[in-house]
Amino acid sequence: MEILKYIFKRILQAIPLLILISFISFFIIRLSPVDPLAELKLNPSISPATVEKERQRLGLDKPIIVQYGKWAFSFVKGDLGVTSTGERVSQKLKERIPNTLLLTTVVIILTWIVGVPLGIIAAVKWRTNFDRFLTVLTSIGMAIPSFFFAVLLLLFAVKTGWFPIGGLTGPNFSDLSFWGKFLDISYHLVLPVIVLFTISLAGLQRQMRANMLDVLDSDYVKFARAKGLPEFVVIYKHALRNAVNPMITLLGFEFAGLLSGAALTEYVFQYPGLGRLILEAVLKSDINLVMASLMMGAVMLVAGNLIADILLIITDPRIRVRA
Amino acid sequence: MIWRVFRVIIVLVCVGLLCKACLVKDVPPEMTANRTENSSDNSFLNYTSPKNVVVNGSDYQQSQISVGKFGGEIISSTIGEGPKTFNPFNSKDNTSSTMAGILYDGLLTTNPVTGQPEPKLAKDFSISPDWKTYTIYLRQGINWSDGKPITADDVVFSWKDIIFAGLGDTSLRDSVYIDGKLPKVRKIDDYTVEFKIDKPYAPFVRLLSASIAPKHYFLPAVKKGAAYFDGFLSTNTNPDEIVSSGAFKLKEYIPAQRVVFERNPNYYLINKNGDKLPYLDRFIYLIVGDLNNEVLKFEAKELDVINLQGSKVARYKSLEPHSDFKLYNLGPTTGTMYLSVNINNRKNKNGDYYVNPIKQKWFQDLNFRTAIDYAIDRRNMVFNIANGIGEPLYTAESLNSIYLNKNLKPYEKNLEKSRNLLQKSGFYLKNEKLYDKDGNRVEFNLYTNAGNTEREAIGVMVKQDLEELGMKVNFKPIEFNSLVNKLVSTFDWDMVIMGLTGSPIEPNGGKNVWLSDGRLHMFNMRTPSEGKSGILSWEKDLDECFIKGALASNFDERKKYYDRYQEIVYNQKPMIYIYSPIIIVAIRDKFKNIYPTSLGGMLHNIAEIWIEGGKK
Repeated sequence: MEILKYIFKRILQAIPLLILISFISFFIIRLSPVDPLAELKLNPSISPATVEKERQRLGLDKPIIVQYGKWAFSFVKGDLGVTSTGERVSQKLKERIPNTLLLTTVVIILTWIVGVPLGIIAAVKWRTNFDRFLTVLTSIGMAIPSFFFAVLLLLFAVKTGWFPIGGLTGPNFSDLSFWGKFLDISYHLVLPVIVLFTISLAGLQRQMRANMLDVLDSDYVKFARAKGLPEFVVIYKHALRNAVNPMITLLGFEFAGLLSGAALTEYVFQYPGLGRLILEAVLKSDINLVMASLMMGAVMLVAGNLIADILLIITDPRIRVRA
Repeated sequence: MIWRVFRVIIVLVCVGLLCKACLVKDVPPEMTANRTENSSDNSFLNYTSPKNVVVNGSDYQQSQISVGKFGGEIISSTIGEGPKTFNPFNSKDNTSSTMAGILYDGLLTTNPVTGQPEPKLAKDFSISPDWKTYTIYLRQGINWSDGKPITADDVVFSWKDIIFAGLGDTSLRDSVYIDGKLPKVRKIDDYTVEFKIDKPYAPFVRLLSASIAPKHYFLPAVKKGAAYFDGFLSTNTNPDEIVSSGAFKLKEYIPAQRVVFERNPNYYLINKNGDKLPYLDRFIYLIVGDLNNEVLKFEAKELDVINLQGSKVARYKSLEPHSDFKLYNLGPTTGTMYLSVNINNRKNKNGDYYVNPIKQKWFQDLNFRTAIDYAIDRRNMVFNIANGIGEPLYTAESLNSIYLNKNLKPYEKNLEKSRNLLQKSGFYLKNEKLYDKDGNRVEFNLYTNAGNTEREAIGVMVKQDLEELGMKVNFKPIEFNSLVNKLVSTFDWDMVIMGLTGSPIEPNGGKNVWLSDGRLHMFNMRTPSEGKSGILSWEKDLDECFIKGALASNFDERKKYYDRYQEIVYNQKPMIYIYSPIIIVAIRDKFKNIYPTSLGGMLHNIAEIWIEGGKK
């Protein structure tokens, strides 16, 4: 019951935040000197009447505050509007969201499965060769800019011919059997996953190692060891549960990044995800599409934090008391 | 010990990967000096268009070039976000029109070699001696992709109920308004349609290449009104239900990845053996985000055709002899790149001049504009910016235009002449700096759109060239939208480097630029309320050329007017043309029946292209 009340409170708090975010974003986009009709205006074969018709269709003839009001009203009703080319925003997002989710969830699962244990092992084997080796690897992972790494891998794919040059499916995709499709997608996912995995693994492993080292140094671990508990129980029962708290907060952020975190990599690999769609939309000042994606990002961030806090309540009795 | 072994293994793996990466043959250094001029292989110029034949009472078109094998696919690419719609009457961007153009044939098409109109979906057409009646004879016995016959009803429906009714994109309707009146279209019998216009209007015949819609498929959408029609045949349409007439029909569209077309078994083109074309089973467009990715995909053999940028050509040329592709030189593009001078001398609503009055005196001075023209080193720009893959341009029509005025001679950079002209108008040099006769330092802004590296490079070189005359040029690449705003709304610019795409077969499309009250008459733009105020005598001549040129009927007569317009621009220099890039296309050499032309491009005869070593 306490928890439900807490969740309800948090959701109420999020509403003014979302309104503020939408307000600021809308005005920044609209006040930027990007004219969605510029291309039409410079096309000799388009008549002024057509330009005027487009202006009315996009609602650009009304003052900004009216435009915002109209947008907000339909947004609340669940209507995301149409893009500047007349397609439904919800339809466009629906086409792309599964692709982005596929990529990011694969990456997140992989990094957590590999990163957390590696962090624990590195902390337990502190200052051994293995720890040093991991430190070097993760330093490299953190040092390489994802954009650069992605381009390097693409060049590697071109030169060797071992991997496809971006995309998600091959040209014959629709003719393949189920397992053929599965293999085709996996084959296309290898390179983008390697890029995102390397980058986020490094951060995660370092974080886990640092938390674990902190905890291993604390008095209650020393006490547990002094009590004569087996090392396994000391580490996995007493130390780990305390070290994992900051990781849960991190997981909240990862959740927020599910839809937007891979934009740069998606762009380099021509991955048909949200990143490319949104970038194009921003360049064309396609207001409905940009707003929808910004709001989606904001909602995901708020939700991610909420989920993290709830998980913390469950794992950490100290917080439970205060909440 | 184990560690040492491990390290050795890692190093070996890295070295191994590097070696593999280098295995692919790269450019041998001695080959890079090769220039592209040698590549102009003219054998493809003897392309013969398909001819009409009657087989079993049906009017087919018969391919006149070599008979090939069936099967296989060709993979091309489109840059950007892919098509927005497959509706040919609602496509506002290039990619969408290309895709819709594959699905829906027009009555007429343009001969890819001569540029003259010739029949396509129609069997034949005739124009009455007074140039007011166009009669179209349709093919009998040819069908839409769903097997229903293509008849006069479809043609009348497409023109009357879609185009004239203003559904979808209205730019086609806008261009058939002749003195405020729309043409009349009438069905004579099932296979004959007549178009009547009030006044002879030469560009009309080109408009007959607009797509024709299947009435039985479009009618329900048309009945539901304009708003519904805008969403009709959108990219979410189930490909199986689309009824089309082109050589290929839609198989699937995967957003941000590709568009796949498959052969239309009902297409009306046959080869000399009487087999129905196209040869290829599939025609695929990959949707790629940018030029670099396109090049990578071509090199990884994911693409079969690619348009090459100037800077890439030398490398590809040297790769060509030991690779599986061939380069074709399609000649200069239809686009023109120019430096425009703002000669506007009017005031805005607040009573301020759009252009600073001191600068106005320079810009309106023909000697000043000519001096700039002669100071620009076009050859140098072609060489340095387009890597030699371009042609200097001196005329308003592009170099492959069938209306190009060949009497307008090119000239070289001539600083001496420029200085003399400036001197004649009272400009003088002091400490290497140019002053006008009132003692004002000659200094102005030169704009272009930021992000277009080619135009930015031209701007830098123009700035250098003009500084040789002692002018101070502030080169400012600004955001595209802000630039358009300056050009068409606020008019507060001095000089600009821009490009426009024109049509090589129909100069009338440039009327928005050249008519004195045109919407893109940038160099002396008038607001609608200003009308034609302050018209210059040569602007009046230009108006006359475009009005009479559109009404004149036969080619030679029209050419006179368009020659005159190019001459006026050549002499008055409101726009100083710079160069046209040359299009170089690479295509895998397994494809046969490749007859690229400057007007038609690489794949204009896509239905006749076949693959050597194909399956069957």
